[in-house]
Amino acid sequence: MKSASLPGRSSNRVAYLFAGPAILLIGTFSIIGIAYSFWISLHDYDVLAARNPFVGLENYRAALSDELFRLSLINTSYYVLLAVPSIMCGALVLALLADKAGRGSPLVKVIYFIPSITPGVVVSLLWVWLLRDDGALNQVLGLVGIAGPNWLQDPRAAMPAIVIVATWQAVGYYMVIFMAGLSDIPKMYYEAATIDGAGPFGRFRHVTVPLLRNTFVFITAMLIIGSYQVFTQVYIMTNGGPQNATEVVQAQIFRNAFQYVGKTGYAAAMAWVLFAVIAVFIAVQMRFMRSRRLYD
Amino acid sequence: MTDGLSQAALKSPWPGSRRGVTAALLSLVIAAGAVTMIAPYVWLVVNSLKTVEDFSRHPYSLWPNPLDLAAYARAFTLGRVGIYLGNSLFYALVATTVQLFLDSIAAFAFARMEFRGRTTAFTMLLTTMMLPGAVTLIPTYLIIVHLGIADTRLGVLLPGFAGAFGIFMLRQFFLNIPADLEDAARIDGCSTFGIYSRIILPLARPALITLGLFIFIGAWSDFLWPLVVLTDWDLYPITVGIASFRSDAWIFWNSVFAGSVIASFPLICLTILAQKHIIGGIALSGMKG
Repeated sequence: MKSASLPGRSSNRVAYLFAGPAILLIGTFSIIGIAYSFWISLHDYDVLAARNPFVGLENYRAALSDELFRLSLINTSYYVLLAVPSIMCGALVLALLADKAGRGSPLVKVIYFIPSITPGVVVSLLWVWLLRDDGALNQVLGLVGIAGPNWLQDPRAAMPAIVIVATWQAVGYYMVIFMAGLSDIPKMYYEAATIDGAGPFGRFRHVTVPLLRNTFVFITAMLIIGSYQVFTQVYIMTNGGPQNATEVVQAQIFRNAFQYVGKTGYAAAMAWVLFAVIAVFIAVQMRFMRSRRLYD
Repeated sequence: MTDGLSQAALKSPWPGSRRGVTAALLSLVIAAGAVTMIAPYVWLVVNSLKTVEDFSRHPYSLWPNPLDLAAYARAFTLGRVGIYLGNSLFYALVATTVQLFLDSIAAFAFARMEFRGRTTAFTMLLTTMMLPGAVTLIPTYLIIVHLGIADTRLGVLLPGFAGAFGIFMLRQFFLNIPADLEDAARIDGCSTFGIYSRIILPLARPALITLGLFIFIGAWSDFLWPLVVLTDWDLYPITVGIASFRSDAWIFWNSVFAGSVIASFPLICLTILAQKHIIGGIALSGMKG
């Protein structure tokens, strides 16, 4: 790498010129932004107010004792607990199927992939109709004799309904990542396992799972981070209803920061609580995954 | 049902006599999944082609009777989809162009030049990739307000003008380009910018195309940020535009569907045309983990 760098005294200034704009932008909106956000969370902050008094950890205390915010944390965790495994399993099963069927035809891959590049707004508007009482999903369920609930109006069914939509949308994207992971596993490992007498399940358990570990870690982390910030589907399909059953943290942050007046500091504290929850989940997941490391 | 699927998935493809049956079964399951994926779109397109009466009477029939383009016409007149579509194109194209330029030139500096603070700056970039958007949303908005560009096109665009992921991805790509060509060019009197623009960029075309597509798709689909930063309807991108259809007095769902078809059509076309770059790029980004 050293030999590749350009010689000359002027290169230093040129380098700053080249990398500067991007570093300045990302530094402003991420690094300064993070510090600013923490500062705001310690103040009774309003962007239009002349004074923004320091309140210490009061915003955090208020958030954690706020019934609705606590409910939104529980709701979001419920969503994560349903959505992450469901997207993960769906994607893995699809990837295994496509892999066995000869790496999957490109057309099939594209079809599975299309929902994930469709804007969340479109997906949500569309599924509002498919999830109605007399909607397409219940008609299909009716064919096999199941009477589906009125998904988006029933407090118990609303969150699972949003998970169904999220799974439908995301499964193809993670299928592609899993397929890339699968195609990286050398075929000889499977052959060796077969010679050693491993059945299909043994091969899956002792070859596929451990050798896909990096992919699992990556996907789980991405899914947890993304799912904890679920917003668009909820905002459009239920707007937090019925009876706050789908009120999520990101919606609470959005309402307090941008729809209510003078609650910016409070909303910033909520965002930090969410960040902390995500960080804990990621730490636990990393540890869990590392303890599972087997062959390399 | 999942059990059945994974059983099928794990069935060995090798034992001879059952191979054909297994393969056929697999194809069937995959095809059924594909139908599940595509059916909602078919329903969307079909209903955007129905009249209001036909839709309210038979929302789940899969044949418009009669075939009618009024929903599209209404989406463009009352729904102002034309304005939103223009805005989305503008945002997505400008974001893609500017970010590709700033990311690639920064990645070039990180890959090929020595400068004080390089490691620190690069570590900082990597760290920002892990920040959840929920935490940066409020400060980003407030910074935009302080800059006096809230509710403007620049306000929508500015935070997306550079991306840590893009710099990281392009730097990796640039590091794999051999330096011999550059040395030769430098001896021939080529400037540093010339090396970047005439040697590195052309060689990095595949990476630039993939990143450009990611940026375009992301900017086009973005909903929360423009919703936060904009109040002026004339500046709405199509995602925020069609979401606000419902809050309007005129609720013509078939026009909402027409707007949805228009909003997703460019991305679906892109995916079909550039599937190698998009899907291949995603497979690649997954490996980094």
